[in-house]
Amino acid sequence: MNSVLQEIYATILPSAPFVIAAYALVWLVLFVYVVYSMTRFKKVESQVGLLEQSLSGMEKTGDATASVLK
Amino acid sequence: MDRSATKPAVGGLADKLALVLLATGTVLTTVAFILTFTVASPVIGAKVSGVELIGDQMIGNQLLLSQKIFYFHMPVAIASMVALGGTAFFGIRFLMTRDAVYDMKAKLCTEVSLVFILATMATGEMWTRFEWGVWWTWDPRLTTYFILMLMVFGYFVLRAAVEEPERRATYASIFGIIAFVDVPISFMITRLIPSSIHPVVFRTDSGMSPDMLVPLMCSLFGFLMIAFGLYRFRVRTEALALRVEAVKDQIDE
Amino acid sequence: MAVTSHKPSTFAQYKTLLLKDLQREFRTRDMLSSMAIYALLVLVVYGAALSQTGRQFDILQMSGGLLWALIVFTSLLGLNRSFGYEKEDGCLEGILLVPLDRSVVFLAKATSNLVFLLLVEIVVLPLFYFFFLTTTAPAPTWPMMLLPLFVGTVGIAGIGTLLSTITVNTRGKDVLLAVLFIPLVFPLLYACVSATTVVVAGGDIEGIFMNSVLLAAAYDLIMVLLSWVLYDFAVSA
Repeated sequence: MNSVLQEIYATILPSAPFVIAAYALVWLVLFVYVVYSMTRFKKVESQVGLLEQSLSGMEKTGDATASVLK
Repeated sequence: MDRSATKPAVGGLADKLALVLLATGTVLTTVAFILTFTVASPVIGAKVSGVELIGDQMIGNQLLLSQKIFYFHMPVAIASMVALGGTAFFGIRFLMTRDAVYDMKAKLCTEVSLVFILATMATGEMWTRFEWGVWWTWDPRLTTYFILMLMVFGYFVLRAAVEEPERRATYASIFGIIAFVDVPISFMITRLIPSSIHPVVFRTDSGMSPDMLVPLMCSLFGFLMIAFGLYRFRVRTEALALRVEAVKDQIDE
Repeated sequence: MAVTSHKPSTFAQYKTLLLKDLQREFRTRDMLSSMAIYALLVLVVYGAALSQTGRQFDILQMSGGLLWALIVFTSLLGLNRSFGYEKEDGCLEGILLVPLDRSVVFLAKATSNLVFLLLVEIVVLPLFYFFFLTTTAPAPTWPMMLLPLFVGTVGIAGIGTLLSTITVNTRGKDVLLAVLFIPLVFPLLYACVSATTVVVAGGDIEGIFMNSVLLAAAYDLIMVLLSWVLYDFAVSA
């Protein structure tokens, strides 16, 4: 590699970490947001689970009162 | 709870589209990433002391790798501004109809915008650090974009500071609308103040060759699609949360 | 006997509301005196902040920025209090019961804020000159700084009136007003500082000064119009 080529490519290697970091950071920010959205979704999911539980509990008590009434 | 809240339409055309767009956006940004480092011709910098044949071209200047940051930096910046446009739009819709759904949508638009603002700031920082040799400079473009970020922070601080849902929605809508005024300013500032060191890209004579334009456009539309997909996913989640709340209220009665 | 009543004109409503604000202020001089003392204290802080700078230090180049920082912080204090008064004794509810256009309320409040800010500036400017500029000679064009001063104050009063109406109903209102207000006035501040610096330190009057003042005026116009339109929603929420 002659000196002119060395000059032409002089900034490539020093700038590589910054370029890689820039792309990695975009990816990281989006990833964090996706994880955040997922946790929000999971929270709502668990709420639905609670609803189902309380609903089945109500049905049981409903059956009990029905049998008492008989 | 706001009585007048209509349920947002979920699972309709917008959501079917969102899934397709999210997938397409992922593919497009990946394609853009590959094209950026393979096809797009490098930008030349300072003159060197000689000329050398590389491939089939005579090169007499430094080749710059740092410019590759730009292929992701500008698209995420545009996506953040478009998302803020959504905040202003749904803010206006809320003030017209008093429908809590629009307030929720405005909030989620701002959330997506914040994500892309952070991505813009991160990529911009890397470029500034390498090319200009500083972490921060009070360049007009950097400054106006920075205050845009501060306004988005302010938007969420304002939301957190008001208890009543209706009042919170009104205040947030108003602030979202006035904060949007900074978006065109930030976009136009490099043309208004020529002393800015930030390069002007969007113009008819930008001198971008097709091999640079294709990855840029792939990246731009890819990120816009990803932004829309993420936004719709958040809308569906929040809509589901509203429905769960409503059913809970019914059970309690 | 027939009782005749007529609806007062919009201008009469505006005048009444404005006079109410001015009369209360000139009776107690609460806000004006606290703003003036606060401005004086900021000047004292500047004195400490600049005390270690060298003899060759170019105060003229910095004076525009220092002056505007002083104005922004002082106006934050005033704006915080100006709407607090309306909350006391249900004054605002009373005003909103009157069948009048809400934009009149905005105009009256913005005008009274503008008057108070200008009064404080009249006190502050000579003090600023006395403390920092007597050792140097400002450029002969310095009286032109009154133009950006006025344009900037109009914008601060317009944006500030809307924002203080919003933040008065929130938790931690003092901090929140600063959080919302400073980014919003930033473009205005930037333009006004550059215009003021040019006329005080000397420089390109034709280009930079006129451009900056025009930019500030355009931003004023957009912001005051938007605040005016949106005020109805803010005050009745």
